[in-house]
Amino acid sequence: MRPLDENETTVVFEKIFKFVGNNLKNIVENPSHEGPEQDPGRYCFRLHKNRVYYVSESLVKRATNISRKSLVSLGTCIGKYTHAGGFHLTIMSLSVLAANAKHKVWLKPTSEMSFLYGNHVLKGGLGRITDSIVPGDGVVVFSMSDVPLGFGVAAKSTQDCRKLDPNGIVVLHQADIGEYLRDEDEL
Amino acid sequence: MDMETDQINQLDVGNLLAFNSNHRFPSPSSSREELVKECVTEGTKLVQAIADVLFNLSSTDSNDGPLVQLPRPSTKLPREKHHANLLCFLFLFHLPRPKPPTKWEEFALKKGIQKRKKDKIVYDETTDKFKRRHGYDRVNDDNDIPIIEAKATDERVGKQEKNRLQNLKTAAKAGALPSHVQLAVTALPISGTKTQPQKIGKEALGDVAGFASTSTASGGKFDKKLPGEKPPKKQGKHHKYLPVLPRYGEVDEEKEQTNKVLSKLLSKHSHEILNVGKAIDMYNDYKEKKKSGRSDKLKAKKDITKKKPYAQKAK
Repeated sequence: MRPLDENETTVVFEKIFKFVGNNLKNIVENPSHEGPEQDPGRYCFRLHKNRVYYVSESLVKRATNISRKSLVSLGTCIGKYTHAGGFHLTIMSLSVLAANAKHKVWLKPTSEMSFLYGNHVLKGGLGRITDSIVPGDGVVVFSMSDVPLGFGVAAKSTQDCRKLDPNGIVVLHQADIGEYLRDEDEL
Repeated sequence: MDMETDQINQLDVGNLLAFNSNHRFPSPSSSREELVKECVTEGTKLVQAIADVLFNLSSTDSNDGPLVQLPRPSTKLPREKHHANLLCFLFLFHLPRPKPPTKWEEFALKKGIQKRKKDKIVYDETTDKFKRRHGYDRVNDDNDIPIIEAKATDERVGKQEKNRLQNLKTAAKAGALPSHVQLAVTALPISGTKTQPQKIGKEALGDVAGFASTSTASGGKFDKKLPGEKPPKKQGKHHKYLPVLPRYGEVDEEKEQTNKVLSKLLSKHSHEILNVGKAIDMYNDYKEKKKSGRSDKLKAKKDITKKKPYAQKAK
């Protein structure tokens, strides 16, 4: 376990910025009230075996007592580094992203299951969509009852969505909560 | 004369054999002496017959007397292995015929080549001794030469040298000469190129010096350092990781780093904070409003609450 390098931090922040925009500041400077200390510590990012974890400082302090080999996970895993040095956000970062998302999409109840199986979001399944989405933006997908279902990348801007035919892809699927069941081994 | 006719049938002069198969003893002779006498007389007749034929053959004179070539024997006899008179058997039975000479033998005959037998021991001139021809400590052994003369270089070496020089020239043109060559060459301009040979920088020189110093059998550890030579810079990858937790009382470097990265990122994307389209619309609205506001000042403001002057006319 170690803190991230400068390059590694930039890569992670860039990826998160696509989803949360300026709320990234809130994520980084989130005060955490975990632990018995009076002063709220911060949340920080730690790297352990190619995975990035979003942990409070007090937890990190206690986790240093566990040897590297025995340590499995700490805090929330937000993503993994690939072999080439790229970074992918995993589904476990949903709680962090959903709270601070800039671009949101709400799904109709009929197409919820389709998305949870790993399919892309089609125009016909779209309930609501926030304004001013640019293609390539990170989008967090919610159900109509405001339950975060997953996230993805916008394929079309909000304006183009209106003109799209019902089978056009609006959001490209990246992660969904169905992965907890499907890809249990890989998480 | 009857008996002569009886003897004709079997006379083999080649074998010096005469046989009278028609002879019969007239009666069983009473005594042995008579039998012997009879045999002798018969035998004499047979021998006489052979002698007659022999002396009628053409003879040649020799030291020992007249010599006669016997004719071929007519009686078939089984082959004898070591008979002195083998010639007579040659065409009788199927003895191994003499092989016809092989092609080489014919050639050798034609050219007059003689067979020479090689000796096992040969005289060695370098050491005046007799040494064996083959085997241990043999004559003219190739491995015994203390100094072997180098072969004259063949054409391949010339060609390879030319290619090597061409490669160096193209590398120099592209600016990718190996540093040890570049050091040697900086003094001379390379023919055919307009670019001046660049001087080696301090860093490159340092690198080359580092390579040179470590390219010994023990990695340059036990070499004496020249006066003024600095120890080589730390080789290999350098990694400096921040501590996992901030040290008590000291600056939190990790926090500083994250803040730095964050501010950099936000500033990079700061142009996106502004929604340009919206801003333009707002600006236009504001401008129009302003425009209309200014023109109102010049005109007399119409107050609706005031009564119109026309109203007073109607009385």
